[in-house]
Amino acid sequence: MENSRPMVKITNVHKVFTKKLHVLCGINLEVNKGETIVILGASGSGKSTLLRCINFLEEPTAGSIEVDGTVINAGEDDKTRENHILEIRKKTGMCFQSFNLFPHMTVLENIIEGPTTVLGQKKKQAVLYAEELLDWVGLTEKRDEHPSRLSGGQQQRVAIARSLAMKPKVMLFDEPTSALDPELVGEVVDVMERLAKEGMTIIAVTHELHFARDVADRVLIMDEGVWVEEGTPEKIFNNPDKERTRQFLAHIL
Amino acid sequence: MKAKTMHPGTAGIPLEAQRVLQQIETRKAKYKRNMFIAFVILIAFMTISLIVLGLDFKFMLKWLPFVLAGSGYTFLVAFLAISLACILAVVGALGRLSKNPIFNSIATSYVSLIRGTPLLVQVYMWYLALPQIGKALEGYGIPGIQRILTLPAVPAGILALGVCYGAYMTETVRAGIQSIKIGQTEAAKALGMTTTQTMKRVIFPQALRVIIPPVSNEFIAMIKDSSLVSLMGVWELSYRAIKVGRRHFQSLEMLIMVAFIYWIMCGLLQFIQEKIEKRMARGDRRIS
Repeated sequence: MENSRPMVKITNVHKVFTKKLHVLCGINLEVNKGETIVILGASGSGKSTLLRCINFLEEPTAGSIEVDGTVINAGEDDKTRENHILEIRKKTGMCFQSFNLFPHMTVLENIIEGPTTVLGQKKKQAVLYAEELLDWVGLTEKRDEHPSRLSGGQQQRVAIARSLAMKPKVMLFDEPTSALDPELVGEVVDVMERLAKEGMTIIAVTHELHFARDVADRVLIMDEGVWVEEGTPEKIFNNPDKERTRQFLAHIL
Repeated sequence: MKAKTMHPGTAGIPLEAQRVLQQIETRKAKYKRNMFIAFVILIAFMTISLIVLGLDFKFMLKWLPFVLAGSGYTFLVAFLAISLACILAVVGALGRLSKNPIFNSIATSYVSLIRGTPLLVQVYMWYLALPQIGKALEGYGIPGIQRILTLPAVPAGILALGVCYGAYMTETVRAGIQSIKIGQTEAAKALGMTTTQTMKRVIFPQALRVIIPPVSNEFIAMIKDSSLVSLMGVWELSYRAIKVGRRHFQSLEMLIMVAFIYWIMCGLLQFIQEKIEKRMARGDRRIS
């Protein structure tokens, strides 16, 4: 693993919305294959923006993003750029705070939508894999329901299955449990944990400290668009170097 | 009364609750019955008043086939104009939402111009004024253009109605598209969909559900506005009715008859709308 290229490489990424709103200030990050990264930080610190820059839901203003060998430099504008963005999106799965399942489709249709429309798979083949995924997230019996009939936790699990149907190399989690009732958080974190154990590369923005402590390989703290500190969960939670980290943890613990 | 602990599922529904449920049931039944009575009275009242007015039903029956023969034109004009309007509305809405300045400005001025002028003027514009434009263009050396731009009444009517309703529906479709939350677009994009795929697979199907009621409104209005083609001498429903009524001094009979025919046609459309809405509502929590 030492010699191979990182799965995700973020180099000097800036995101400037307006002159006064400089959200990311030169972020660097390398994530290796199979690693689980948790990004912590106060709201408005830029962690969601960074995550959304990785699959270009936000365009970075400067810097470069590399996912599994596909590199895109900010500001570079040529004909291949659009294709590169699509390529990166196919390689990354994303889970949103608000699930964003397609309400006009059943659970199964949601999951096969990506493979059939984007990858051009045959429906039969997509359904087979979708059923496997549904079984894996424990929602086989909800196959033909519409998302509105599902609880928040179930919806998020379907959303994870929908992302996994694309066989992504990296999973991005943007506060996947923040919109959930407390008793539903566990089932989603459980799925994330199993995903990490199976070797998926994960970058998660979450306030789920249990996940950060027990599952993450590395924890990074962000504040005002820069890294404050990074390290193993033990170090960050038990013996942080920076005062800002201490303050932040005291606030959320 | 002694308080009893109720275990869900094991104990029966308490007496008071049963009484409340009973009351709700009775109220519903009463409402249904009253509605029915009201409709019956209304219809009876209308029938009686028609008889009191001394309507010549025989006369109406005699001319009914003749008037109905005009419904072909009404349907033809309405159907083709609606189809044209739908296409224009989708293209127009995409234009209104486009970041391309040319596409956007064309769509915006189309909506503004057409909504800002009377349909009546537009109808005459297509029918009477277009040939004059053709003549001017021919003067600039485009041979045969006047012939092409001199439209027969029915195509002129279809174009006028289609273009006009297309402008109104552009705004409906645009609002429908914009009512879909940004998260849907983001989810589709995150899966790797192109903009076109996102529109086709995710946004349009959801927007469609939102715009069905307002679009049905437009359809129903269009059926009636199709009578405007009679201005150009097309023998459609209302034109026939008015002609016959005038000739025999029995306008009341003919007008009431033609009004009923329109009403039935629109009722049919409304029925179809309700069916479609029900189908579209699958997966919608508010309905189920």
